[in-house]
Amino acid sequence: MSMAGAPRFSSSPWSPLVALAAFALPVIFVVVPLAIFLSYSFFSVDQGTIIHTLTLGNYVRFFTDPVFLPVFRNTVILCVSVAAICIVLAYPVAYFLTTLKGRWRYALLMLLLVPLLMSYVIKIYAVRSILGLNGFLNKALVALGILSEPSSLFVFNMNAILLTLTLLLIPFAILPIFLALERIPQVLLRASDDLGASPLQTFLRVTLPLSLPGVASAASFVFVLALGDFLTPQMVGGVSGFTFGRILYSQFGTAYNWPFGAALSVALALLVIGAILLGERFGRSRGAST
Amino acid sequence: MSHNTDLLTLRSATKSYGSVPVLHGIDLSIRDGEFLTVLGPSGSGKTTVLRLIGGLEPLTSGEIRLDGQDISRMPINKRPFNTVFQDYALFPHLTVAGNVGYGLSVRHLPRKEIATRVAEALDLVQLGRFAERFPSQLSGGQRQRVALARALICRPRLVLLDEPLAALDLELRRQMQEFLKSIQREVKTTFLFVTHDQEEAIGMADRICVMEAGYIRQLGSPHELYYRPNCEFVARFFGENNLVAGTLGSVQDGLRAIDTALGRLLCSVEGQPHLQAAATGAAAFAAFRPEALRVASAGDKDNRFSGTIADVAFAGSSTMATIAAGGEASRQRLKMRLASRVEGSAFTAAENVTLAFAPREGHLVLA
Repeated sequence: MSMAGAPRFSSSPWSPLVALAAFALPVIFVVVPLAIFLSYSFFSVDQGTIIHTLTLGNYVRFFTDPVFLPVFRNTVILCVSVAAICIVLAYPVAYFLTTLKGRWRYALLMLLLVPLLMSYVIKIYAVRSILGLNGFLNKALVALGILSEPSSLFVFNMNAILLTLTLLLIPFAILPIFLALERIPQVLLRASDDLGASPLQTFLRVTLPLSLPGVASAASFVFVLALGDFLTPQMVGGVSGFTFGRILYSQFGTAYNWPFGAALSVALALLVIGAILLGERFGRSRGAST
Repeated sequence: MSHNTDLLTLRSATKSYGSVPVLHGIDLSIRDGEFLTVLGPSGSGKTTVLRLIGGLEPLTSGEIRLDGQDISRMPINKRPFNTVFQDYALFPHLTVAGNVGYGLSVRHLPRKEIATRVAEALDLVQLGRFAERFPSQLSGGQRQRVALARALICRPRLVLLDEPLAALDLELRRQMQEFLKSIQREVKTTFLFVTHDQEEAIGMADRICVMEAGYIRQLGSPHELYYRPNCEFVARFFGENNLVAGTLGSVQDGLRAIDTALGRLLCSVEGQPHLQAAATGAAAFAAFRPEALRVASAGDKDNRFSGTIADVAFAGSSTMATIAAGGEASRQRLKMRLASRVEGSAFTAAENVTLAFAPREGHLVLA
């Protein structure tokens, strides 16, 4: 930092205020609520009133009660699966997009991102009607002769949550992968050809490794979004599709146990932070920049 | 080094982008083991020549022959050539050793052999200590040498270099020129070097191919191009030159007269039948180098003319004087190179001088 640049920032009488606001806004709207949540997780509830004495009881309950840990584990498995399926489906799409020329590339990308503009609830309803007993999926499978009669395999269970989340979150996987692929300089691919690599070798040895940071951030995006979602499991999960998000939701609603809900959210938040850090780290370790 | 046999031949090689032609059916033979530089201003088609040979782009028409075999349709990864790209194009996710060994590992050579050959190649470019570094941890000159090692390790028949020194600063560029030339001598591989910098071309090439507007203007040794340019473009493009327009006169004793604004000049046409045969009265230029000009002495009978010093510019080892000569109506600005002296130039501005150049140092190009 050069000294010459410093006076420019302090020249306006408003600038200290602006600087203060820049720091204050995230503190007020992000850090303080999180801190309040954290402190709530150490309280307890008795007869519907919150007792403001510090206790580790909520965390002890989370780790000892036979209900929560298995649901937590199943939810993680579910979200990892969603992330994995999204990546597998999104990668070819993103790759195809980068092979397009000029405006087609962005027109098609925009088209793929249009679902993001739609209401989440409406999308879930739409997917639910596709997956339902009389839905498009079942009718198509029956018409193709794959099933003899409509199956209830796709709705109101874990499969339904998996399919719905995958459908809803796939744009979040396409975008980072597309950006990573697009950033790879074409000349590196030509250099690989020039050195005698076949198209497949060029893909496996240059394109794929250089796009891994995008894959990592796509995976962590999808994982984190899937983990935090309680609406989708609520609407398509039925009785058997019970996820951690739903438990959390119920603590703040029907159960009216905010401290325990807060403790569960802390557990979830830690997992989310871990996932983001992992995605970040994995994304950076290879690409050693240009 | 034997430069006798042709390694690669372009025949009527044409390239168009849509309806825009960038290469007009050029013929070019590259000799085995030579250092051939393709020189031209931007837009001359020089990089296109390299891309066509490398297989980065298909020919529009014509053919490319390697050892007499047509390879125009051969895919890029099957051609026994390797390219050193302008901005190196090193793989950022691979170490120096990984980059250099890439061409061998895609051919599934045994690991041990790859390791030995990578070590050899890195020693050749004096980067043995940097094998485990990533490209981002290297300087421009070092990346350049990695790119060279990566191209050489595959033992290509021809190394294509696409303005590889353009991104380096002047001092490093000089060093790299010498380095490239010495490497080329050591590995005895044919180099095709593309550049827009004529100094770079003179310094390294066995032969230079000058291109302009999609045509080859002249192909020859740096010496030939400098002293015997065959057209106005080469005469002006290749080094500092004085060109004075005129009409051709008679031929006598290997010299030909040309009537110009500076009077009647005599220039050498020895060994150049096309200049000897050109019609009297045809438009041409007398061309003479700034270093050929000198202050006339009593003994100078031919090519004498007077002028006024317009400007004297010190340029280190030499000083360049600009001289206004010829009549009012057809004023010529000539460049004259003088050896620099510690006490300053012998010339001062506005001084009148009589100058001359030896007829054998003069040259003619047809207009």
